Amino acid sequence: MIAFLTSHSPADWILVAAATAVATPAVAAAVALARVPERGLRRIAVAATGVAVAASLAVTVLWSTTDGTTIARGPRLGGGSLVHVDGLTAVLMPYASLIALAVVLVRPRRSIDPRSIARKLIGCSATLAMFLTAHPAALVIMWVVTALPTWHSTRATPGGRAAARVFAIAMASAAATVALGTALLIADPPWERSGGPLGAAGGWLVAIAVMIRKGIVPFHSWYPAIFAGAPMSTALAATMPQVAAYTAVRLLVGHADGVGTELVVLSNFAIVTAVYGAALAVVQRDLRGFIGFLAMSQSALTLAGLAGSLPMELTGALCVWISSGLALTGIGLVTWAIESRAGAISLEIPQGRFWDAPALASFFLLFGLATIGVPGTLSFVADDLIVSGALDERLGGGLMIVAATVLAAIAVIRAWFEVFGGPTAADSPRHEILPRERAALSALVLILFGFGLWPAPLVNSLDRAAEKLLRPIDSPPSLEKASSP
Amino acid sequence: MTGHDFVSTLIVLQLAAPAASLVVIGLPALFDRNLSETATRRVVGGGFGVGFMAGLCMFAVLASRRFAPEIVHAGTWFRVGHHEATIHLVADALSVPYVCFSSGLCWLINAFAGKYMHREPGFTRFFVLLAVFGTGMNLMVLADSIDVLFAGWECVGISSALLIGFFLERTNAIRAALRGYVTYRICDVGLLAASVVVHRAVGTGDFDRLFGPEWPHAPCLVSSTTASIVSLLIVFAAMGKTAQVPFSGWLPRAMEGPTPSSAIFYGALSIHAGAYVLLRCGPLLDASPVASTCLILIGAASAAHASVVGRVQTDLKSMLAYASMTQASLILVEIGLGWRVIPLVHVVGHAILRSLQILRSPSALHDRHELEAAIGGHPQLGGWSPLAWLPSGAREAAYRIALERGYEEMAVGRFVVGPLTRLLERAAEAESRWVAWLAGERKGTRM
Repeated sequence: MIAFLTSHSPADWILVAAATAVATPAVAAAVALARVPERGLRRIAVAATGVAVAASLAVTVLWSTTDGTTIARGPRLGGGSLVHVDGLTAVLMPYASLIALAVVLVRPRRSIDPRSIARKLIGCSATLAMFLTAHPAALVIMWVVTALPTWHSTRATPGGRAAARVFAIAMASAAATVALGTALLIADPPWERSGGPLGAAGGWLVAIAVMIRKGIVPFHSWYPAIFAGAPMSTALAATMPQVAAYTAVRLLVGHADGVGTELVVLSNFAIVTAVYGAALAVVQRDLRGFIGFLAMSQSALTLAGLAGSLPMELTGALCVWISSGLALTGIGLVTWAIESRAGAISLEIPQGRFWDAPALASFFLLFGLATIGVPGTLSFVADDLIVSGALDERLGGGLMIVAATVLAAIAVIRAWFEVFGGPTAADSPRHEILPRERAALSALVLILFGFGLWPAPLVNSLDRAAEKLLRPIDSPPSLEKASSP
Repeated sequence: MTGHDFVSTLIVLQLAAPAASLVVIGLPALFDRNLSETATRRVVGGGFGVGFMAGLCMFAVLASRRFAPEIVHAGTWFRVGHHEATIHLVADALSVPYVCFSSGLCWLINAFAGKYMHREPGFTRFFVLLAVFGTGMNLMVLADSIDVLFAGWECVGISSALLIGFFLERTNAIRAALRGYVTYRICDVGLLAASVVVHRAVGTGDFDRLFGPEWPHAPCLVSSTTASIVSLLIVFAAMGKTAQVPFSGWLPRAMEGPTPSSAIFYGALSIHAGAYVLLRCGPLLDASPVASTCLILIGAASAAHASVVGRVQTDLKSMLAYASMTQASLILVEIGLGWRVIPLVHVVGHAILRSLQILRSPSALHDRHELEAAIGGHPQLGGWSPLAWLPSGAREAAYRIALERGYEEMAVGRFVVGPLTRLLERAAEAESRWVAWLAGERKGTRM
């Protein structure tokens, strides 16, 4: 047994764990579509996503024992291999699988049916598979595959056809643009040498596709629409993993010429979006609209840091990716739990939900604080890094990020008071939190506050990943060594 | 153990004790296992008590060394490239007396609130927020860098807003909390921007790169331009917490919170947080006549406003709020005039008097009856007012202006908040119409 274990390198075990994380939800989706009793569906989904979380964490732990060399397997095209595991993969896999697990745990009973569970699991599997590749063609394929369950699920929702149509228009445009842009990048790869006109055009097209998929102004309309019209799990699955940011990292960062103009323009639009989304979140009249615009603002902050030539700014962007994703998932799940008990929530007058659902109110507040960068939360660290990084290069950009965080904070606190404050009806039923909901929400809170108080392990691993990403792909090892601190 | 190590241990204890009490009562509450009222009060009181004792020890140690400052490196939080988030704290003639005062006051308020909040729904929530406030206050007072100071400042702000809105079932309370938080957050831009400018100017947020350590006679180490910009931004930040014109509207409304929190926040510590930051950054103000003049003008205008408006208030807590604002504004004027020790004494004296008045305010009628019974009649009204010198027409005009709170809120609402809100609402409406068009919906329908 020991001989068997030692005969395989850590890289082999990382690949086994990664394959397990990707395959388990896909297999579970097939099982869910077979004739499984309805009450067994949640168990299957929880087991599958739980295995995906465990396997993803195994990838992270095993990766931390290596010297940080990228694991590349399969055909290589342009800038990346079909199977590509690096520091970014090691962080994003547990992140995406944890969100999937939390979503299936909180999912209301009436939303459980074989098809919706299968869509959720396939979406999880596709997202994890996407985070495992850097091959441009595979990225384009997975870009499309990850969008399909969202579209299908939204369309199948009563009253969701309008949102599905808006989503389809955005995703079809984004898919066509990213496919064309990637083809041009492959024809004239900017990763290995200074880019020619074809590579530059490809870069611009990919940047536009990323803007559409990330909901960056002026292509942002699908973002609030999907939160308004789709089930919360679908909206979260469509937005929180941030596959477009991943594509931008793989295709636009680390070029031989340094930071491309398209990335700088993308970042500037993202900063405007962060401010605009947060400002509109302040005046929303319903909770879903608020979450939609807040998510748009926070996800834009991730892109804002990608144009940095400094590892600190990229590390900040990756940190925002994780912190805002987990915190907004928490807000979305609490909203979903309240909606499943009390229907849609308006923000026009105080709803008085605190005494109906005190535990959910506490979780909403904690996730809200974790979104707005209160000290002791991971987002405080992320904001510090991204603002400091942006300021080293662009003072105006840094100040706009400050404005976005201030507006987001006002929006979050307003939403909390409007939802949970106000008189409670005398006959209002008390909605106790369920143990599975408490487990999922507590885990997210502990991660956000745990890494907020002790951020060094996460920040160090993100910093390693950021440094690696900023180096041109084919730089010789000696150069890599020289550029490390 | 050297003297430095001893002070380091005490200063860390100052922060760790209230933070630990927060964890001890907060974590079980997260899992719906609230501690009993007695245990909650004792745990939080224990945290403040330990902090207070550590403060007294620190005071004794520093006094024996003629208050020579001790800078403590409490650890590196995280490091990315050249950017280091370090926790630098300082024990000096400003921070140690102030932290003793704030910990001691928190300890007393904790004891009072244990009785006052008995059987109140949200008892644990109140003490969790009090512990957040105490931890944030200590962090802010002991900070030796603008980053650490900002972290403490934020904790004070968020706990303040949540305590104003403590009685969630009251619509007025949550409106007041939101108003307070929005004001805080807008003014926080000043502190954030100051942090940005400091980092760009000296490459770090540590105060020892901005001015020398010998408070209150430290020299300014940066150019007068940098000192002016940073000072003006800090003055802007202080205007929110200290309720200066035109950001004063939130303070009388903040009295919607429970009496113990009103006493410690708006009578004692939170209202003076801006003054403390200005005292800490005094050397920058000394190097910036522009910022000092602005501070004097703002403070004087706010003191006049609060003094006049406070005279016509019809409820006790509003009167006390305006009285607090008057004194806090005068403290800012003193700081602007370049005084350092007098404002510190003024802060401590005012905070003790005002928190006592606010704590006694629910029993005001009872106290009045006792007084009247003791002296056998109504006490004589007396005192001198400069308004008495005004002609009767001017007095009536002043009365009307005071009743309308100087038209300050009307002006802010009509010329700033209203247009901004309408602009954003129109943008949101346009977004809805655009999405509806994309979705192929009929004219007039909305998603």
